[in-house]
Amino acid sequence: MYLYNEFDQTLVNERVEQFRDQTKRFLNGDLTEEQFRPLRLMNGLYIQTHAPMLRVNIPYGLLSSKQMRMFAHIAHTYDKGYGHFTTRQNIQFNWPKLEQVPDILADLATVQMHAIQSSGNCIRNITCDPLAGVSADEIEDPRPYCEIIRQWSTLHPEFSYLPRKFKFAVSGSPKDRAATQVHDIGLHVKKDAEGRIGFEVLVGGGLGRTPVIGQVIAPFIAEEDILSYSEAILRTYNLFGRRDNKYKARIKILVRETGLDKFKAQVDAEWETIKNGPLKLTQKEIQRVKAQFAPFPYQTAVSTNAPNDPQNNSGAFRQWLKQNTIQHKQAGYRVVFISLKSPTQAPGDITTEQMNKVADLAEQFSFAKIRTTHDQNLALTDVLENDLFLLWQQLNDAQLATPNIGTITDMICCPGLDFCSLANASSIDIAQGITERFTDNAIDTGNISLKMSGCMNGCGHHSIGEIGILGVDKKGEQWYQLTLGGSDSHQSKLGDRLGKAIAKESVVDAIEDIIHVYKAQRTVNESFTNTLQRVGLQPFKDKVYAAH
Amino acid sequence: MPLIKNNRLVQDTWHIIYDGETLKSTNNLVDLAYWQANRTELITTHSPIGLRIDGNEDIELIATDLQYFSLIAINFPSFTDGRGYSLAHTLREQYDYSHELRAVGDILPDQALYLKRVGFDVLDLPNKESAELALQKLSEFSVFYQKPVA
Ligand code: SF4
Repeated sequence: MYLYNEFDQTLVNERVEQFRDQTKRFLNGDLTEEQFRPLRLMNGLYIQTHAPMLRVNIPYGLLSSKQMRMFAHIAHTYDKGYGHFTTRQNIQFNWPKLEQVPDILADLATVQMHAIQSSGNCIRNITCDPLAGVSADEIEDPRPYCEIIRQWSTLHPEFSYLPRKFKFAVSGSPKDRAATQVHDIGLHVKKDAEGRIGFEVLVGGGLGRTPVIGQVIAPFIAEEDILSYSEAILRTYNLFGRRDNKYKARIKILVRETGLDKFKAQVDAEWETIKNGPLKLTQKEIQRVKAQFAPFPYQTAVSTNAPNDPQNNSGAFRQWLKQNTIQHKQAGYRVVFISLKSPTQAPGDITTEQMNKVADLAEQFSFAKIRTTHDQNLALTDVLENDLFLLWQQLNDAQLATPNIGTITDMICCPGLDFCSLANASSIDIAQGITERFTDNAIDTGNISLKMSGCMNGCGHHSIGEIGILGVDKKGEQWYQLTLGGSDSHQSKLGDRLGKAIAKESVVDAIEDIIHVYKAQRTVNESFTNTLQRVGLQPFKDKVYAAH
Repeated sequence: MPLIKNNRLVQDTWHIIYDGETLKSTNNLVDLAYWQANRTELITTHSPIGLRIDGNEDIELIATDLQYFSLIAINFPSFTDGRGYSLAHTLREQYDYSHELRAVGDILPDQALYLKRVGFDVLDLPNKESAELALQKLSEFSVFYQKPVA
């Protein structure tokens, strides 16, 4: 993983002091709320329903056990003993005190972490494939490029007051596990005919009020040009993006209103002038960063039959093994997902004790590294098959082994009305209702992505869930709009509306009806999406609206 | 209002000409409409000339006139409107504009350093207090990931 040099560390330390001063001036009344707002947002600090919320970056979802212990320390010292992992691979603390935030940031800086640009109208945390570096289908590890883009975008003087937030995602595999099609810029690693590395560049994707699938603006940009090309897009957006209406300010609207061809021509004209300037990456710089992501010293020639060992023949273990682990590119290893969707916690939540436990287990079993996923889970990506049983026992004791990865109870859910001041409706209690209803037969139901947002802003990515749930306000009451057939894997697709919104007390029943229709209609091993495509929306509508 | 140049407070030697005001003999800072209406007169009898534009102004409108300006002031209608940063960068890097580039309007002391890094050499702060704070803020960071605009 990338380790800070003195330069990187100085920058983060200076940022802490800058924010300390800004907080002090705000508390003294020298900065107005209006002035402080963008400054604090650029440091990940929201003012929520109950208290401030601090979002801390986990660059491209990779963290060390030491960093995880720091999260545990923060949750314990400054918060209520837990944290919440987000769909963009970051962590949020829901109860810090404003005056303590500079101290939290100072603590984070000691483990090379920060909250720089985790919110605000600037370039946000760069996300990538949570399986980067360990999946067999990878063309190239995307993380070094994420780090290069992270550095370029950090405290960028020109792009800190953009029309709206700006999100990058980078995928290194043909199978897109980073949802690049729903980001402002999505990058797919490609190799050209000569084997040179570059990127297919997508622009203008995004969720929120107007969900849009990104379009290809350039089929191949060579690796050395990726910063200059990104800068050309950002400059064009900064100059021409709409600022008159917050809901029309994302780059997707600019691309739509300008037209992709004209927008591309503007970007290309800008790029021409800067392409061969100081942003051109040297091989030396690319290799410097790549060297920090070298593969781990894997054991070879290990006996790989451990999971089948009779002593490991606990049914619960085998179920977990099947559901929560996947193949690693290195024989003898597996990738282990740690489910943060246990029946007793809100999706993505993790306690101080669990954080410390995960840090211990990462050190014991997975090279002291942890990943965060887009589905608000964690992963230990490099576990010896021989260790799986031991690991499972400890995860199970810590309530971190719910065998539900990819199933309906592994849902994505935004904080909703419980924490967020923008929410129309709650999401956590609906999530709990669904978990209770489906816990016993989640595996039998098969893999289904269920995503839920408490309002149109779509932080819970409802529009790309196979089942999407959106909280809407009807005369002060909480109602829920359902969509079916969305997807964020490989070919992103927005879900279709099932029908009119459903009252709160009927939502879980409606979901059960949908699952009932799916199970009745599916052929052997047929996925939810495929069944839906084959039979259409009507049978689902009939069942749900006949009953309610 | 207080100006910062070369890391210190300096006196303004320019006259801002508002609608309908008569020009001083020299160092007039005019807006784009005035420039367009009185171009020839300004060039022949009133050099040096300063131009005041908004951050969202189409650069093409002045691209061929840049040699006449000894000062370009870019106005920030709101401190959250970042267009002026890109306009400054473009003037400096793409059009090689080398005379004074001044940031005016709604500017926070916290933005002084970024403004300087994208090519502004003079900052016009709303009052003495914020100008003094801006001076301190210019040295808030000692390291940067981005190259400065020359
Ligand atoms: S989707 Fe809406 S309710 Fe949920 S976190 Fe985002 S803004 Fe808040």
